[in-house]
Amino acid sequence: MEPRQGEPQYNFVIVQFFAIMATVYLVVGALVGVYIAAELAWPALNFDIPYLTFGRLRPLHTNAVIFAFGGCTLFATSYYIVQRTCYTRLWSDKLAWITFWGWNAVIVSAVVTLPLGITSGKEYAELEWPLDILIAVVWLSYMFNFVMTVASRKVSHIYVANWFFMAMQVMITYLHVVNSLAIPVGLFKSYSIFAGPQDAMVQWWYGHNAVGFFLTAGFLGIMYYFVPKQAGRPIFSYRLSVIHFWTLIFGYVWIGGHHLQYTALPDWSGSLGAAISLAMIIPSWGGAVNGMLTLSGAWDKLRTDYTLRFLIVSLAFYAMSTFEGPLMSIRTVNALSHYTDWTVGHVHSGALGWVAMVSMGAIYHLVPRLWNTELYSTKLVNTHFWMTTISIVFYISAMWVSGIMQGLMWRAYDEQGTLMYSFAESVAAMHPYYALRWFGGTLFLLGTIVMLFNVLMTVTRARTAPALAHASA
Amino acid sequence: MTKLANYFHTDWAAMTSVDWLGLTLTVSVAILMAGAYAYAFNPANKERFNDHRFIPLCDDRLDKED
Repeated sequence: MEPRQGEPQYNFVIVQFFAIMATVYLVVGALVGVYIAAELAWPALNFDIPYLTFGRLRPLHTNAVIFAFGGCTLFATSYYIVQRTCYTRLWSDKLAWITFWGWNAVIVSAVVTLPLGITSGKEYAELEWPLDILIAVVWLSYMFNFVMTVASRKVSHIYVANWFFMAMQVMITYLHVVNSLAIPVGLFKSYSIFAGPQDAMVQWWYGHNAVGFFLTAGFLGIMYYFVPKQAGRPIFSYRLSVIHFWTLIFGYVWIGGHHLQYTALPDWSGSLGAAISLAMIIPSWGGAVNGMLTLSGAWDKLRTDYTLRFLIVSLAFYAMSTFEGPLMSIRTVNALSHYTDWTVGHVHSGALGWVAMVSMGAIYHLVPRLWNTELYSTKLVNTHFWMTTISIVFYISAMWVSGIMQGLMWRAYDEQGTLMYSFAESVAAMHPYYALRWFGGTLFLLGTIVMLFNVLMTVTRARTAPALAHASA
Repeated sequence: MTKLANYFHTDWAAMTSVDWLGLTLTVSVAILMAGAYAYAFNPANKERFNDHRFIPLCDDRLDKED
């Protein structure tokens, strides 16, 4: 769609709104995470109020960080990237605004319904059926607008970042619709059409592909645009990015079975999941190396460019967690790691180290450009970087030690074949690590508040004194 | 039958139409993947791919035209 007379070349207002909301939701999601981490260390903090119990707030935390923060980041960056790499304005501003208000309506509904205990009980898909329908409508509006923008591009080639976004859009539609198939029995209650092992298989087909396509493919789209852009250098190898794309898309859909080792599912399904998981190290590391080597010959930029630090360190965490995941999927390792805090540590090394840090880097890149100014404080970006990095190390180290200790305690036998530890003893042994995890989470939360302050001050300064902002730019 | 042969033994007569569809799709996609690798890493195609590396770095030019 051609911009009308006097209309700007791009629609960046929608990107501004999503970028601000992503930063706000990051703080909210981290705050809920820190609170439930405190509840695990000091259970009295639930105050016997049902709305504050871990079981109700945990899905609120996951929905807030994955769908509210992650979703808004993906909308902001994909709407920005598709316009800039296709040299065209968004196909429909109206559809873009439907995406914004619809997605935020879903998030507000989640904040209300989840603490009330209204849930479908499906992990990472807890919202009840009316909200599932709303999500589908909003998501399809987003996908249609994005695809039509790509279709109306003014260049022949579709840049690889857009491929990743479109793969995410197609697969998330498919995953969300199939996993949410349910029979409503009331306005706020439904039952999944799947049962038993089929339900478990569909759940983890959805669960791991939500990681693979929402939290990986989408954020790789971010990486493939913002790393070269921030570094001022082209991506190391475009050939590698194409292979990274196709291998990731082909491989990820197979691996959900590795969540179900030693269950009622046939052994082959878990083994297949583990085998493909191991094979996925190759494209994942290929992508990580491709991003990092973009800095080849210009590593000195990391000394002074704090935004670039976020982007590059996120790739290190991406490489680390995409090695750790396949390792944990192997049956013998899984026998120790499954159901323990090691899984929680693994998830957070990916979620905090990869997803959050690449998002932070992208938002720090976007904000000055969207408001045509400079960041309020680059020193605060550096402070935020170190707070985030150190907090993640605290968090994942605590969970590694805790998880491995849990696994070993659960399967320790004496010479009579009797379990050496009761479950309660293993819970008591976790306490110091839960306290340490809470400390790491708190440090991460403080970092997000620093970021929110920096972003809001940048926007306020640009709006109240645009001339001043330009002068300092 | 050796243990290895036993492991790879398939009862073809028991394959349902859904099994055949899945097998066909999987083998087809695997062949396409091999083709994609060969195409992308063929030295003759290197320049064709790498020309696209600069797309994010060139998008500022439209800002100047605004």
